[in-house]
Order: sequence, then structure tokens, then C-alpha cells
Amino acid sequence: MRYIFKFPDIGEGLTEGIVIEWYVDKGTAVKVGQPLVKMETDKVVTDIPSPREGVIAARYGKVGETVHVGETLVEIEIAGEAGAEAKAPETEMVEETGAGVVGTIEVASNNAYLPASDEGREVKPAAEKGSARKVLATPVARAMARDMNIDINLVKGTGPAGRVMKSDIQSFHATAASAKDSPALSVTAQAAGELVEIKPMSQMRKSIAKNMLRSKQSTAHMTLFEEPEVSALIAARAKYREEYKKEDINLTYLPFVIKAVAAALKRHRDLNAEMDFEKGNIIYKNYYNIGIAVSTPDGLVVPVIRNADQLSIRELSRAVAEIAVKARDRKLTLDDMKDGTFTITNYGALGGWYGVPVINYPQAGIIGIGRISQKPVVVNGEIKVGNVMPLSLSVDHRLIDGAEATEFLLDVAAGIADPLSLIMR
Amino acid sequence: MDYDLIIIGAGPAGYVAAIRAGQAGLKTAIIEKKNVGGMCLNWGCIPSKAMLESAKYFSRLSMASDFGVEGLDPKKLSFSWEKGVKRSERIVRRLTKGVEFLLKKNNVEIIAGTASLEGEGTVVVDNRNLSAKNIIIATGSYPRPLPFKVHEKKILNLENLFSMKEIPQKLLVVGEGPVAAEVSQLLALIGRDVTLVKTADKVFPALDDYLNTYITRRFETMKIKVIEGSQGFDSVNVGDYEGIVNCMLRKGIRPTGSLKPDTDDSFYVTDEHFMTSVKGVYAVGDVNGRSIYAHAASAQALAAVNHILGITETMETERVPLTIYTDPEIAQIGRTEQQLTADGVEYKVNEFPLSANGKALTEGNPEGILRIISEPKYGEVLGVQIISHNATDMISEAAAYMAVESTVFDVARTMHAHPTISEVFLEAGSDAVGTPVHK
Repeated sequence: MRYIFKFPDIGEGLTEGIVIEWYVDKGTAVKVGQPLVKMETDKVVTDIPSPREGVIAARYGKVGETVHVGETLVEIEIAGEAGAEAKAPETEMVEETGAGVVGTIEVASNNAYLPASDEGREVKPAAEKGSARKVLATPVARAMARDMNIDINLVKGTGPAGRVMKSDIQSFHATAASAKDSPALSVTAQAAGELVEIKPMSQMRKSIAKNMLRSKQSTAHMTLFEEPEVSALIAARAKYREEYKKEDINLTYLPFVIKAVAAALKRHRDLNAEMDFEKGNIIYKNYYNIGIAVSTPDGLVVPVIRNADQLSIRELSRAVAEIAVKARDRKLTLDDMKDGTFTITNYGALGGWYGVPVINYPQAGIIGIGRISQKPVVVNGEIKVGNVMPLSLSVDHRLIDGAEATEFLLDVAAGIADPLSLIMR
Repeated sequence: MDYDLIIIGAGPAGYVAAIRAGQAGLKTAIIEKKNVGGMCLNWGCIPSKAMLESAKYFSRLSMASDFGVEGLDPKKLSFSWEKGVKRSERIVRRLTKGVEFLLKKNNVEIIAGTASLEGEGTVVVDNRNLSAKNIIIATGSYPRPLPFKVHEKKILNLENLFSMKEIPQKLLVVGEGPVAAEVSQLLALIGRDVTLVKTADKVFPALDDYLNTYITRRFETMKIKVIEGSQGFDSVNVGDYEGIVNCMLRKGIRPTGSLKPDTDDSFYVTDEHFMTSVKGVYAVGDVNGRSIYAHAASAQALAAVNHILGITETMETERVPLTIYTDPEIAQIGRTEQQLTADGVEYKVNEFPLSANGKALTEGNPEGILRIISEPKYGEVLGVQIISHNATDMISEAAAYMAVESTVFDVARTMHAHPTISEVFLEAGSDAVGTPVHK
């Protein structure tokens, strides 16, 4: 009998993988659990084990090619099972149920869509178990992996039943080391001079990359723009600047923006919410913690000003200054950065104009502030020199409709344009 | 093609290959010119161990009264080689029958006769042309000729030693390695006057110096005279001895015929899957010169059959246990101190003597020691050496530790029953991690 083995769902949300290396050829005898192919997915590089014992009759997907969940990986000829008597390939059945009903395998993990029979239920978790189970490894391999800071789950085991051996850790370490040491460049390119420098990513850069990607991949970004006339804001700041200085506070425009945003959030609670898509809930937050994107030499961080709605302009000024000092001195802690409900990014402080900010997932929105510049504005039919502040609001369109977003942005803009309204409304 | 696989030689390499091939559904024939079981069963491992057991039994009776057994007059005790051999033959018959049964059960055809190897997968047995997709040569070995002239009748080989009725009194054992050591001791235990003339500096070059030194000293206490190889055979007056036991290094026995895979000395050259220079023709066991051990031969045989079946996993060759059935037994696995020093590998040694082990004392076998050699950083067990009357069984625990790359922490964590001799593992392991209890 020929058993058709399809690329199984090996992890949440996985829809495809790239073939990195085949361990088997046509004609190779395989055992249950023997690794067939190394696949790279967006989460992990992992070995796909054979579900059955037999001989590989056909193999699909060349190295470097993408295989989608549910597509055939290999066909295994199983001795001693006649075609007619052979059970229907169980894994295949489950995969097709998942794909057929809901379009993606991701939702197949929702019990409602699983076939009622126990048979199918058993087979599917088996495929998942392969990657979730504690990896088989020898004591020395574990000790070595710990010592070398290697995630043993990423190491392909060459021992019995795929056990990770000492030599596997050593070669994994060597490969990682040589990848660091020698960039994948031709000899001539290297000889021509140091055209590129390859540096390992810092953990922070990795985490930024992961968060940015997750935000872009998990939400439906939409961005709106507004340009309030802020002469009144400039006047207000100028008026109180000296007074604040006496208290050693450098009064900037940012505290006004924070105040305006916090006030607008209270009136538009959808913007202070997040979506739990898995459970089908929307989580509204009754606290207003505003994250401020801060650039540091190490990369972007977003410390949070807690309960910003309850703070005065003076208190907000102090909080902003405190954050800036902590960031500069690299003293921000995880506590300083968690539980934000909405984020402000102030590229205007660096001279930037308009931007399309990326939402600080799982928050619902982010507002970007550009530099204030003089522009011709029309007041009562006459062109005058005005001062405008570019605002960009990105929202998660899954949660926030266009109308809601527009109203919110205009609310923020009105607050910034009329600072007095921030205490009057 | 008549067969998927023809195996030449039914020793511990050949018959194991045949059984596995039969189990895997290959149409298999095995050709044997003498006895199923080969040297191991018929005139090697099994008969020698049976005779050694007789000799140890005999030797131990001298302690009978100490154990509380009365009525034995040590002066009246004597040893009958012939009766010992009879017992040995019964054991051999039983084991040989077992092998034949297994071969038949797994549909292996046993063909009696002498095979010659021709091209294109053809094996000729007594004018019968047989063809096969694959051939495994497992024809074993025989001892090299003695380095001096001596009357044929005086020469004792393993092939005839264990079928003799009488053993002369004054004997010369020529050679080295475990066989020479075992035979020398066996003969000394039953009261023979034994001289060993070595061809190499060490009794068994593969063993750690510690064990070699121990063997040499043990020979002294047993009054076995040792003539160093460096002194040459000229210093040996062959005429002084009534029998010469040939334990010289062995040579491969190669089948005749027009097909001649590449050889080095008398041994077939094989790759990591034990294939010779001819595709589809494999050589396993003594005939490839890689090991003299039956267990290594069997493991090679399985690896070769696996390769035929398309399983390309290579055989682990570093962790072959070395066992010597001396009194007490000696066993070693992994790397020696000398190898580690030569390779510049840092190591430490932790020992525990049997003289501090309760079970060893109750059995009256207090001679021996366990040595664990480990790597200091992660604690990986790199080698284990055992001297104990049951060392050849004890070494398997070490083999299991090493098969899964255990550390001394694992050894120290493994609960051992009390009282057992194997507790020395717990003690030496605990010593290695700095928590010894009985030291």
C-alpha cells in the first residue's frame, strides 16, 4: 500500500514551510519517527518525522521550495498492507477536513472543526506532539547545550530515534560560529575590501523585529492624517516655559499631546482596547497608560506613562523627562515598559514630518507627531502664516472603523489646537 | 538471481547476519564448511569459557574449608581435562542447535560446503553455481604460523585444545592479547607449568596501562613466567616444552575464486558499511581485521545487513567493550588514559576497590577495582575499566552509560541495589561528583 504523507500542521498558525534539507531519497527505508526533511517555518526550523515505516516511493519539494500545509511531502510504500485492506490514510483525512472546512489549518485546532471520530483526533495531535515534545538528547548534549546557550530543540539529532548527541551540539555550535565568522560572500568580494560587515543581531533587535513583524502580520493597519493649526499651543508653551524652568522642567509640546490623546481615548474607548481574536473578545481598558516611543543607541523602546489621564501638564512633563533620563542611562526596566494601552511616537522631535507608524501590538492604535512648521493657512478667506503640526494615526482596522478613527483623530487635533480645552472639556 | 543474500561462514558474524536478513524478508543462504556457530561456538569463546569455569571451580575448591565446606582433601583433588571438555561439548551442542533452529525459523537456507567467490554475484559451492544480489563474507581467521620450527604434534591451536583428552604438564604459550592471557591462566589454574612468550611489549596493547600492569603482576602471583617479546624467540628453548599453544595474531581466511576484493595483509579492506572494494560484497568479523571479538563481528554483521536494506546508519566503533576472561576478569570500554593523554584531552579518574564492597567480600572475591575516566567540564564518562570476577558482565552497565553519553552525575544518581558488586559504580560516580559516601 502507498501511504501519502502530507505536510502536517506542526505549530500554531503555520501555513507553509521551506524545504531546507532532505534526509531521505526515493528508495530510502524509513522507520516511524525517522526525520524525513528539515523544514523552516516562520517560527522554527524543524525536522518532520516519518509517520509510518516503509520505503520512500516519491518525494515532493526541492530544497528551497515552499510547501504548504496539506500538500504532499512524501509517498511511503508500506510492505505487507494490501491496498484494499489498508486503512485510509488518517493524517490525510484530518488535514483535508481542516483545509476543506475553514480554509486554513490554523482553525483546525479549534475543536469545533475537528472530526468527531477519535481516530482522526488521535492522529492529528501526534503530528503536533513531534515538535512540542521534549527533545530526545543525551545528558552530555544537554549539559553542553546549556553551557553554549544553544536551544537544543533547534538541533537535529543524529543518534538513535533522532536523539541529539554530543556531536550534534558540537557541529551546531561550529556551524553557528562559522556563520558568524565568515559572511556568505565570494572570495573576490572579500578581497575587494570590507564591503559588508556581518554582525549577529542583538536580542533587542531580534525582539523589535519580532514585534514589528507580528504587528504587521496580525493586524489590519490603516493610517489617517491631520494637520491642526497650533499657534495657540505655541503661545501656551511660550507663556509657561520660563515658569517651568524655575522648577527645572523643560516644557515641550509632548505633554500637551499626551494630555489630548488621553482625553480623546476616554471619549473613544475602542482606541483604548485590544482584540482577542482567538477567544472572540474585545478587551476594553479602563486605565490610560500612554507608551512613548524612545530612540536609544540600542534600539527602540516604549516606556509607559501610567494613568496619563490623571496627570497634569506639569506631572506629564516630569514623567516624560524621567523616561528620557532612564532611557539614556539604560535604566528602564520591564516594569517601565509594560501595560501600555496606546502609544505616541514623536519623530517631530528629530525633525521628522509625516510617518506611518506601526501599531504597538496588541494595542489598537498609535499616533505619530511630526515637527511643527509654518505654512500658509486660510482664515476667514484670507491666507495667513500658520503653524501646523502633522499628526498620523495608525489603527487596527479589524477593531476600529474609519469613522471612529477619524473622530478620534479630530478630537486629538482639537485638543492640541486649543490647549485650554484640555482642562475645560 | 537465486538469492537476495549469500553469507559465507556461519560464525557469530555470519549467522547473525543471516538471521537478521531472514527476519527482514531477504531470501538468504548461509554456507558453512565445518560447524554452524563458527569458531566462537565450537572452539573459541564458548568452549574456552566452559573450560575456564572448570578451572576456576577447581582452583576455588582450595578455599572450601574457609567457606565451611568440610571433607575435601585438597591433596586428593585432581583435574580431568577430558571431563571438562565433555561438559563444554554439551554446552556447545545446545547452543549450536539453538542457532540452527533460529536460522531455519527465519527461512535461511543452510548449505554445507566450501564456497569460492566468482564475479557477478556468483558463489560456487562444490560445483553448484549460486547467484545473489549481495554477498557477505564472514569466514573468520586462523592463527599465524609459529615463529620457530617445532614438531607438528607439539602444536596446540584453539581449534584442537578444547577437544583433547590430556594436557601436557610443561607448556609454552606464544602470542598476545586476551586469548594468550586467558589460555595461560586457564592452564596455570589447573596446575600446569606455563610460560608465556609475548610478541609485543604489552600483554594486550589495546588495554590501558593500568590493566596491563595488573595482568603482568597477576601472572607473577600465579607463577606464569613471561618472556618479553623484545628478548626475541631465540631465547626460548622450544625443546623444553611438551606443548606449544599458538595464540599468535590471526590472519583472515579468504574464500578462493576469481573475484578478489582488495586486501591489506590478509584482511579485506572495508568501508564504513563493511563493503569491500566490490560493490555488493561485504566482509564482516575477523576477516576484515578490525576486531577479534565475536560481539564486534555480530555488530558489524548487523550493520552490513542494514546497509543492504538501505539503512545507512554507521556502526558505533568506539564503544566496543574489551573483555578478558582471566581470574579475576578484566573489562574495558571507551578510551584509555594513554589515548586521552596522546589526544590532549583533559580527564580525571575515580576509582573504587572491590575490597571495600560488601558483596565482593561475602563472595570471597575481594580482588578488583572499578575505574571511571571522565571529562571534567561536563562530566561525560569517557572510559570505564573493571577488574572483578564478574567484570565482563559489569562492563555492560558502563556500555549503557556511554551509549547515551551519560555523565558521572547520571552514574551517581542511578540507584544500585545493595549488596551488589555493581555498587562500585555508585561509589566511583559519587566520588567523581564530589559526594562519596564510603570513601
